[in-house]
Amino acid sequence: MTRDILLQVAQVFTVLALAPLLQGVILQWEERVQRAQGPGIFQPYRDLWKLFHKQLVVPETASFIYWIAPVIAFTCMLTVPILIPVLTNFPLPLSDMGDILGGGLILTLGSFFIVLAGLDSGSAYGGIGSSRAVMLGILAEPTLILVFVGITLLAKSMLPFVVNHLLVAQPAVYWSPAHIFLLAAFFILLLVETDRLPIHSSTHIEVYMIEEARILEYSGPLLALLKWASAMKQFILYTIFCNVLLLPWALSVRGTAVGALGAAAALLLKFFLVAATVVVVETAQSRLRYYRYQEPLAASFLLSILAIVANQLR
Amino acid sequence: MLAAHLPPLAASLFSLLAITSLLLAFVMLGSRWLREYMIAFAVQSWLIAVLSAAVAYYGGYPELYAIAALTALFRGLVLPYLLSRIIRRLEIDRELHERLSPSSSLVVGGLLVVFAFVVSTHLGAALGLAGTVAVLALTVMLSMKLIGFLMLVVRSEVVSQILAILVLENGIFLGSQILVPGMPMLLELVILFDLLVVVACFGVLVRYLLVHAGTSSTRELTRLTG
Amino acid sequence: MSPAPILAVILLAPLAAVAGCLITRKARVCEYLNLTAAVIVFAAVLRLLPVALSGPYTLWDDYFIVDALGAWVMLSIAAVYLLASLYAIGYMRQLDKPSRLPRFYALLAGFALTMLLGPVMNNIGVYWIAIELTTLVSTFLVGFERTREGVEAAWKYIVVVSAGISLALLGIVFFYWAGSLHLGPSYNLTWAALRSVAPQLNPTIALAAFLLVFIGFGTKVGLAPMHTWLPDAHSEGPAPVSAMLSGALLNTAMIGIARFITVTDATHLGLMPRTIVVIIGALSLAIAALFITRQTEVKRLMAYSSVEHMGVMTLGLGFGGPLGVAGALYHMLNHSLNKSLMFFGAGDAMHAFHTKRIGRIRYVLTAMPVAGVLWIVGALAITGAPPFGLFLSELTIMRAGLAGPNAWAVFVMLVLLVVIFVGFLNHFRAMYFGENPAAQAAAGPWRRPPGTAFWCLLPMWLAIVPLLALGLWWPGAISHYFTVIASQLGGGLSR
Repeated sequence: MTRDILLQVAQVFTVLALAPLLQGVILQWEERVQRAQGPGIFQPYRDLWKLFHKQLVVPETASFIYWIAPVIAFTCMLTVPILIPVLTNFPLPLSDMGDILGGGLILTLGSFFIVLAGLDSGSAYGGIGSSRAVMLGILAEPTLILVFVGITLLAKSMLPFVVNHLLVAQPAVYWSPAHIFLLAAFFILLLVETDRLPIHSSTHIEVYMIEEARILEYSGPLLALLKWASAMKQFILYTIFCNVLLLPWALSVRGTAVGALGAAAALLLKFFLVAATVVVVETAQSRLRYYRYQEPLAASFLLSILAIVANQLR
Repeated sequence: MLAAHLPPLAASLFSLLAITSLLLAFVMLGSRWLREYMIAFAVQSWLIAVLSAAVAYYGGYPELYAIAALTALFRGLVLPYLLSRIIRRLEIDRELHERLSPSSSLVVGGLLVVFAFVVSTHLGAALGLAGTVAVLALTVMLSMKLIGFLMLVVRSEVVSQILAILVLENGIFLGSQILVPGMPMLLELVILFDLLVVVACFGVLVRYLLVHAGTSSTRELTRLTG
Repeated sequence: MSPAPILAVILLAPLAAVAGCLITRKARVCEYLNLTAAVIVFAAVLRLLPVALSGPYTLWDDYFIVDALGAWVMLSIAAVYLLASLYAIGYMRQLDKPSRLPRFYALLAGFALTMLLGPVMNNIGVYWIAIELTTLVSTFLVGFERTREGVEAAWKYIVVVSAGISLALLGIVFFYWAGSLHLGPSYNLTWAALRSVAPQLNPTIALAAFLLVFIGFGTKVGLAPMHTWLPDAHSEGPAPVSAMLSGALLNTAMIGIARFITVTDATHLGLMPRTIVVIIGALSLAIAALFITRQTEVKRLMAYSSVEHMGVMTLGLGFGGPLGVAGALYHMLNHSLNKSLMFFGAGDAMHAFHTKRIGRIRYVLTAMPVAGVLWIVGALAITGAPPFGLFLSELTIMRAGLAGPNAWAVFVMLVLLVVIFVGFLNHFRAMYFGENPAAQAAAGPWRRPPGTAFWCLLPMWLAIVPLLALGLWWPGAISHYFTVIASQLGGGLSR
């Protein structure tokens, strides 16, 4: 029991500690693909360290939302890892307090507060960023729900652990069209949620920014929290994608320390694989104007519907 | 009935081919470029040919091998060739004025698939075939039918309309390969041939349209009303 | 006597005409070749009628069927083909393109051939293909004049009908599938096979299949709301082609619906399919009534009248029973004759006034005294006025309806027929007796180009005389014929 609690803490800690690393790797590889040097993979850690030591400047128009939004977003990102298989393939204490839908809800709650904060700051960019993020969210949400429905039909359950076990145990299900289409749909959602769509630009401070615009008014430790939360969100989505759907193997089965360490190492490997794909997709895809944002989402919607259709064959 | 006794691998193969065909129908729906439509159609036809061959293999219908070969030849090569000739003659390579943007039509198409899903599930349940490949084939068949009609409605270039009608036919052909593999060979041959004649007729009409109506878009065909 | 040689003659005559037209390429020769084929076909069909009465024959590996219903539909096709071939000689000579006439007659004979194939097809899939072929051939006839409107109509025709008819194919696949659950994976989907397996079919799938088939062939028949191609195609083709489309083509698809209704009667679907058929029939009447009253073009007026009469026939088939079937089939022949006459008159009026617009056609009797009288008598007949055949058949259909469970449709039909009567004849009142400021009145009698008067007027007389005869007197032989057909169609739904 104690060991399970420790493992649960380790899960949260893994997400907390490795999230900036993943971010750093992606940022560096993006530059490398374009034949540039790029920042070191530990740059996000240095950024966070620097920001924590900076002074906090608060807009005059800001209300209490401005203060609580980063904290809530950060807390949400700390909560979700409890629900999903990060290191172990069996449920740990408190893992059963929510299913995939619950996890999605908490992630959305975090984003929601950042949207509020963007509006709250009263700056024009915050408003633009929030409205764009909400627009994308509105379109992404039904697809996300459909993907969950597809997963539910596939595994007859919404618990991530059940899906994981099913995919490991039955290669037929793993290779079934339903699962493959779900993967594709979720991959597009992953791009949307981690700002890697072809409408997002690789230089982040410019007119079409979405994520950056929302937090433009933040500085110092609060900005650090937000950036960290954002990196963790990315990490969590990668975890769900890898450990639940794409590569459900290489998780700690018994829960020993070695197993957990090995799982963490495997996790990083899987992530690098996915990150490499994401980077290639993002770079290879030519940039679209912002008002074509609905096209990838429509494609994702469609793929999830096809996944549901493919589920008819059982 | 073919669906009742299929090894799981075969079932997976059938469903993969069927669903990928449906996906290609969506590629046509979501694209503006006429040439992309045509390629998607050709690939779809090849997939259906593979499906025919698979049905022949797993269902024990040797005559379907011939159908598969002819499908690949006619639908996969000859029809795309005829269409590409039409496209070249048109000197137009994309849909200019959609009545519905590609992404919206994708979403509408998705909803149509959901409708087809519900209908075929209902039919499958009525026949006691729930969960078999037959129901899936039914869904794909109805979906492609509806998508074809959607394409007819929202696309105005003549080539798009021809392709939409071909998608309608492909849908039926795909479904019939799985649902009624024992259909007399003569019928399938005649339907294949019929399709060729249809496209040839369309080709001639397109030329008439260009010469006598001066347009390749059905948006301009508004003289006859009431 | 075996029907095989007669059927062979019926099918080979137009085929020979097609070949002859394509080889000789001389306009005059082609005219007479086509006419000869039409006469031969008509004579052969007349010979086929009594033969077909003695029970359904299946020929040539079960792919062909000769039964009373098919023979009757072939009679209407052959009659219209003959009339149209006569009229085409006069009409097409007035177009100034003799070099393209051989192709026209080849297409016309080919069109007749494909239409004659439909009713004798025993395999449902092959029947579908015959229907599809009629579309392909007639498309080029519709667009034959190569005007902008003509090409537009041809395009809309082929797209709408191809798309619609593909639904029928889907329905046929459904029927085949449902049947294969009982008859084994491979069997010959003939009408008889389908009817015999019908009681075992799952009702849900049978209903879905019937709906698809009905919508599909209904598109070809021109039932509302799938009728959109019909006014365009009928109004833009040359007049003889319009007559063939309206008087013959629609019937070949109607026979499919009639045969499928007998299939659904045998399934456990109860009244529902027939009610659907009746609703669509009534809807066609309603749409036709609306468009007839507000019409501005004379050939579109005729086209919507076709929608109306197809609706009436559909109602007759939907009501069913010996009376309903007899009424519908009697109506079919009467309508074929009458509508041919109407399109011939419209073609003459178009040549005389150089317009299709009703508003510009005035003082018809001055311009064309003989054809004008025939035309307005035909107009009276087609609106269902006594003593012509259509009055009798509509009355029969109403009687059949009143006896059945869908009696409400009879009242709808009655009201709409009155509306159409008034609306349709109002246009003729305007064209014959209306005031017109334009100078057309001074033009005096229209002088037909030499050598066309005989060919234009003869088919009109040939149409109106039997029409009057059939209205005054319902021959006993025909009654007997319909009794046989009704019994073969199962005599309607057993109640």
